[in-house]
Amino acid sequence: MSSCQTAVRPLTQCLRNLQISNYSAIPIRMFTSSSRVNEAATETAFSAPAFDPATVTSTKGEKSLMRSGVLPIGSRRRRAAIKSSDNIPFEQLPYQCFQEALKVLKADREEKMKNIQTERLRISNLEAYNGESLKGGEKEKQRRLGDMRKHLEWLKIQADINDPIIKKRFEDGEGDMNKPIYRYLADRKWRAYQRLIIVQRLNQLSVVPDLLPHFEPIAAVQVAFKQRNVQPGEFVDSRVSELPPRLKVQVFDKGERLVTVVMVDGDVPLVDEDSFMHRCHYLAVNIPISPSQTSLPLSRAQENQLVLPYLPPFAQKGSPYHRYSVFVLEQSTGQTLDVEALKEKVKRDRFSLRSFTNTQSVQPIGVGIFRSLWDDGTSGVMKRAGIEGADVEFKRKRIPALKPKQKARGWEARHASDKYKPIRR
Amino acid sequence: MLLPRLQPPLRAAIKSIGRSGTSGTQTALNDAFAALSVKNAGPVLTFVRHASHQQQGAVNKAKDGPGKRLGAKKSGEQYVIPGNIIFRQRGSLWFPGENCAMGRDHTIYATQPGYVKYYKDPKTNPKRQYIGVTFERDQVLPLPPNSARRRRLGMEATKMELPEVVEEGAEIQLQEVTPVVRKRKVKERRGTEGMELTIRPGYMYREANWQIGRAAERAKVKVAPFVPRDRWTAWRKTTLRKTKNAEKRGLSRKKK
Repeated sequence: MSSCQTAVRPLTQCLRNLQISNYSAIPIRMFTSSSRVNEAATETAFSAPAFDPATVTSTKGEKSLMRSGVLPIGSRRRRAAIKSSDNIPFEQLPYQCFQEALKVLKADREEKMKNIQTERLRISNLEAYNGESLKGGEKEKQRRLGDMRKHLEWLKIQADINDPIIKKRFEDGEGDMNKPIYRYLADRKWRAYQRLIIVQRLNQLSVVPDLLPHFEPIAAVQVAFKQRNVQPGEFVDSRVSELPPRLKVQVFDKGERLVTVVMVDGDVPLVDEDSFMHRCHYLAVNIPISPSQTSLPLSRAQENQLVLPYLPPFAQKGSPYHRYSVFVLEQSTGQTLDVEALKEKVKRDRFSLRSFTNTQSVQPIGVGIFRSLWDDGTSGVMKRAGIEGADVEFKRKRIPALKPKQKARGWEARHASDKYKPIRR
Repeated sequence: MLLPRLQPPLRAAIKSIGRSGTSGTQTALNDAFAALSVKNAGPVLTFVRHASHQQQGAVNKAKDGPGKRLGAKKSGEQYVIPGNIIFRQRGSLWFPGENCAMGRDHTIYATQPGYVKYYKDPKTNPKRQYIGVTFERDQVLPLPPNSARRRRLGMEATKMELPEVVEEGAEIQLQEVTPVVRKRKVKERRGTEGMELTIRPGYMYREANWQIGRAAERAKVKVAPFVPRDRWTAWRKTTLRKTKNAEKRGLSRKKK
């Protein structure tokens, strides 16, 4: 560490502590360690990270970058290679074969661009055409238009899919999600691994027949409690999940849309009925998301979006594990849900996601799942949230045997009296 | 043995030589040799019969062993409790369905109290037959597709037995009753004073490795510093060790 950094370190730490947690409900006034004017000046001076995410190779540098919210690009080996390379632009790499291949790709792209133009022209021509004079009528026209638009999207992707620079930019995480090619690549990457896992967990944990009749996820949802990312179906400590999570919802089709976020517990024990019920832990509606706007912190929901505020997950002692599923439901285009009406209608207990999706006509697009069990912090979490029942413990009910207990026979019967107590086994 | 076998061909050869006396001796000889060849020596078959026992077919028919008491132990709609065996089988003739499980020897047993149902579920597997247990007698298996699972809690809520809560009021009460409770004194090991063990990865209550490394320091164990080339101390230590080992060996010999 350079002497300059050593000198600056305590100052930066002090500044970091200044940021008041967004989650805390109690307004805390921190003691200021510097004057107002100085603070602004120092912040501008040290806002840029000291390490370059493209070339950082040390563990310390990576950690400090990640702490500041920037992920290092690519593998460490790649970063080391970049550090020692001449940094020739990708297109000017001095390999003859590579340059020849680039030419071929360029010619192919030009051809695709031409195809795109003709397809656009065909679409505009058909749009101008009167549908009634076609053989199938207006319906046939709309069908053909839909097919042509689909083909146009495919052409747009095909024009860029072989471009090495686009591939590099996507792998570096610099892809612009407003462009179809990057959305396509991101979707393909998600479907290759992440989606398989979430679908597997949906089935393994029986979320699908229990909460919804069927569900095909089309958006990537990542649940994180502060710094802790949650893998699908993971057990989360109740102290970690006390504060509302932050969702990262990546949709892969264009346009902004409104979504509803619901968090449901599917395993609330009902002792009287000897069964389980569902409970809604969180409900917020009319939240805008788009391919480029992915962050969705549950704590930031506005007053006109929030229907049911966050209730921290809690599993009473002895009860089987609770599955908490955070569903992202897409509202149909132009549809906004009435918050006041929902506030009156939706109850926490005996919440049914099936009926909610049917009555509000919302489509589930993504889900994040985690589980919870009783742990050391649960009673504290329940106390702070004002939930009763922290002193309840669930125990297995004894099921009476079908056969009566057999009478003692033989040696045991003969030696049953107290006279034989010392020799009894 | 060889001579009588050779006789007929030899005889024929001599005869042929006599017959071909008129023609040239060369051809006669050739014919004689041709007649001598083994080819003309007619087939000789020898049959050998070994002692044997039929290996295949009905001869070694399996003897009928004792019955293994397989089959259904509970019939359809019979009431069962968890652990009750419903079907004993070799191989998986029947598969475990709702609220049932399969044992090590493919035995189907109940995991919930209820009524036994034998059924097929062509949607999940067209070839398999299942045994399930339902909570209500009139319930039908398989469940309709995509319907929520029927689940039972099977538990009762009890008041948790909390360890004594430290409160001001409770403390006064405890002081009055304390003589009855005799607490076993837990002897603390040297160096573990005031140590709070927490659960660690691997579900172990133990210290971290770095803490274990500092144990001697915590217990204030003093070790005389090692002085290189101090042969006097080294010799003393060696002799001490050797005598100790010799004593040990002597003890073990006595035992034998």
